[in-house]
Amino acid sequence: MTTTPEAVRQSRTGTMDPVSWRVRVVHTTGYRYEAPVVQSYNEARLTPRSDRRQNLVVARLETTPATRSYRYTDYWGTEVTSFDLHAPHTELKIVASSVVETTEHVQPIDDASWADLRGDGIADRYGELLEPTRYAPRNKELISIARKLRTGRRPMEAVLAVSEWVHDQLTYHQGTTGVHSSAIDAWQAREGVCQDYAHLTLAMLRSIGIPARYVSGYLHTKPDGAIGETVRGESHAWIEAWTGGWWGFDPTNDIEIGQRHVWVAIGRDYGDVSPLKGTYSGGAASAIEVSVDMTRLA
Amino acid sequence: MNRASGNGDLFDNYLDPKRPHAGAFDEMFAADSTVRSAYRRLYDSLSPSKPADLATRAEALDRALVDQGITFSLSGQERPFPLDLIPRVITAGEWAKLERGIVQRVRGLEAFLADIYGDQQIIRDGVLPRRLITSCAHFHRQAAGVSPPNGVRIHVSGVDLVRDEDGTFRVLEDNLRSPSGVSYVMENRRTMARVFPDLFAKHRVRAVGDYAVHLLRALRAAAAPNVADPTVVVLTPGVHNSAYFEHSLLARLMGVELVEGRDLFCRDNVIYLRTTEGERQVDVIYRRIDDEYLDPVQFRPDSVLGVAGVINAARAGNVVIANAVGNGVGDDKLVYTYLPEILKYYLDEAPLLPNVDTYRCWLREERQYVFDHADELVIKPVEGSGGYGIVFGPDASAKELAAIRRRVRANPRGWIAQPLVQLSTVPTKVGQRLKPRHVDLRPFAVNDGKSVFVLPGGLTRVAVPEGSLVVNSSQGGGSKDTWVLAARSSTVDPELSGQRLGTPQEESAPERGPELTSAQQQQQQQQ
Repeated sequence: MTTTPEAVRQSRTGTMDPVSWRVRVVHTTGYRYEAPVVQSYNEARLTPRSDRRQNLVVARLETTPATRSYRYTDYWGTEVTSFDLHAPHTELKIVASSVVETTEHVQPIDDASWADLRGDGIADRYGELLEPTRYAPRNKELISIARKLRTGRRPMEAVLAVSEWVHDQLTYHQGTTGVHSSAIDAWQAREGVCQDYAHLTLAMLRSIGIPARYVSGYLHTKPDGAIGETVRGESHAWIEAWTGGWWGFDPTNDIEIGQRHVWVAIGRDYGDVSPLKGTYSGGAASAIEVSVDMTRLA
Repeated sequence: MNRASGNGDLFDNYLDPKRPHAGAFDEMFAADSTVRSAYRRLYDSLSPSKPADLATRAEALDRALVDQGITFSLSGQERPFPLDLIPRVITAGEWAKLERGIVQRVRGLEAFLADIYGDQQIIRDGVLPRRLITSCAHFHRQAAGVSPPNGVRIHVSGVDLVRDEDGTFRVLEDNLRSPSGVSYVMENRRTMARVFPDLFAKHRVRAVGDYAVHLLRALRAAAAPNVADPTVVVLTPGVHNSAYFEHSLLARLMGVELVEGRDLFCRDNVIYLRTTEGERQVDVIYRRIDDEYLDPVQFRPDSVLGVAGVINAARAGNVVIANAVGNGVGDDKLVYTYLPEILKYYLDEAPLLPNVDTYRCWLREERQYVFDHADELVIKPVEGSGGYGIVFGPDASAKELAAIRRRVRANPRGWIAQPLVQLSTVPTKVGQRLKPRHVDLRPFAVNDGKSVFVLPGGLTRVAVPEGSLVVNSSQGGGSKDTWVLAARSSTVDPELSGQRLGTPQEESAPERGPELTSAQQQQQQQQ
């Protein structure tokens, strides 16, 4: 880290809510290749952004072998770091580290009725967040379940009901689904990881006309995290829904978005925000290391 | 003598009132069988000919075509793209109108694309619905924020025009991605000049051979201003592509490298060409590869035709991709229906060239109209080209109409409908006689950032089967040489004039990048 927590604290004294957290995230990804790799082109979406709920203090991204990186902001507002490697290499390590200040729980927003959502204005403004996608496709059975859950509820309540339903239906289990699994795959298996929980929730919310988007980020695993303690965090995903305003919810854990959540990117589904993607020529890759270390600094 | 009748001549029974689509506008003969002014000289030259002369000429033409090796892929099979004997003639006055209309469209669509891949002001101002853009399959979010150095995204465009029953030219669709066919314009002219030198001697036909000069100028002007002598390449998918002939012809005429994806590579957002003398930086890529295959990092990861990293290289300003990535949002057949609004918004002008009336199936009332009148309309998929997927209501069975209604209902954004335009007809050799056959016109425009050049002429495609209104070359159509006549007062060199006869390609001053003028070299004065 180039900026010490103390320096950060001094510069920000008194500006943050007392219940806010300052969290350091160190996300390490390592690949090993069976045969030397050349012409490796990559894009990383690993840099947290700032908004009303979250303040990015500092971020950096390092690769081994070292690369000259290029940064840009994509259509969705995500900070992208692109880099390419040409010298033959058999290992690639990417370390994205950042310090982020997060605030207390996001309260659900209850400012839109079903009639508001059905109006032309919303359907037009959020059209791309209402359409089915590859990861969150349309499914008749899911639509009818979502419609039942909608009955007698306001849109905001329906978001919570659908999230809860998804949380109850799926069992968190790694290995059943992969990075390319869709919401339907996970639902049929009744198992999945955060990515699948989010996609399933998105597919159902969109099917009943609630604009919804995929959020990728990190989760600090201890609700009462002690300052200075480094915990094994998670590369995480949750959803945001529009019911008069955008607000997030975490269907995997059936919890509100709070200090423990650090967001990095939003999009229609995983495809818009994949943390690392690229092409290369050479031997098959195996991920040898994926870790997210999170430390509450304040 | 100026009549479309007479005994034993080529035009025997030409305007048969019983012919299909008899209401169509014939470009040579008015309804009363008098010859229109544009075709008077051509008619005078042709009418004394006997059918046997026609056969001789046709043989010469076929031989010339085979010699030049002009073919087109029809459903995957290579075959000669038939060139008809009789040219299509456009007067200077008609052309001036078309030219102004095409230039206006290109300017308007350039502004539109710059806005859509930038701030999207036209959406914020409520002029276009946001969903029109976000639901377009060719709106490539990967291209958001990429701004080319001289602002040009539509380096080459092809505007498909048809002439309705009143003879009015209307735009059928815009092609802003990789419009092909310009090689046929040049080759058709070359062939015709070989076979009919006598006709050219009697007409002041504007030359089309300098297209590559204009294209090269526009591509060089597109390079970043710091590049003194930009390197331009033509990127082709390879010899198996149906337009490979055109790619190689353009590269040869421009004197630039014809490359495939594997000849290029990207390092730290700079594109290099592998040559026998080592790496050479590339500044402008005139690519004839679809967006989806251009960059496996951003689009189809399995594509081996493109260049990994090329889009971020363009974003970084180190290379210019021509035409720009994502132009398809500008030639979407639904966006097309909003062109009057687009021209009004950016240029504050009304369209000089009208569209064909179009019903938008994604609007409830217009969709209902389409359902009620499906048997009178031509229903077209918004996606797709080459005439595939089009349903001609008048020819469709009740079962087909029911099927198309179902498909439209399932995906209203994916369909538009138009009244059946009886495309204009031009005399075309059929057997030993000349018969009216339906045509369209695709002129080509090149934008160098300062002005838009429209190649005088364009590709006239002919629907060869009697009564057919499908002119697409991928549906087995033919083509015609398109003659734009020079104005009487003009000083432009007509085709085959004097000294140019026999010289293969006209000489042009070597292109140079922008150079600093003495005024620019001065230090800026302190204020």
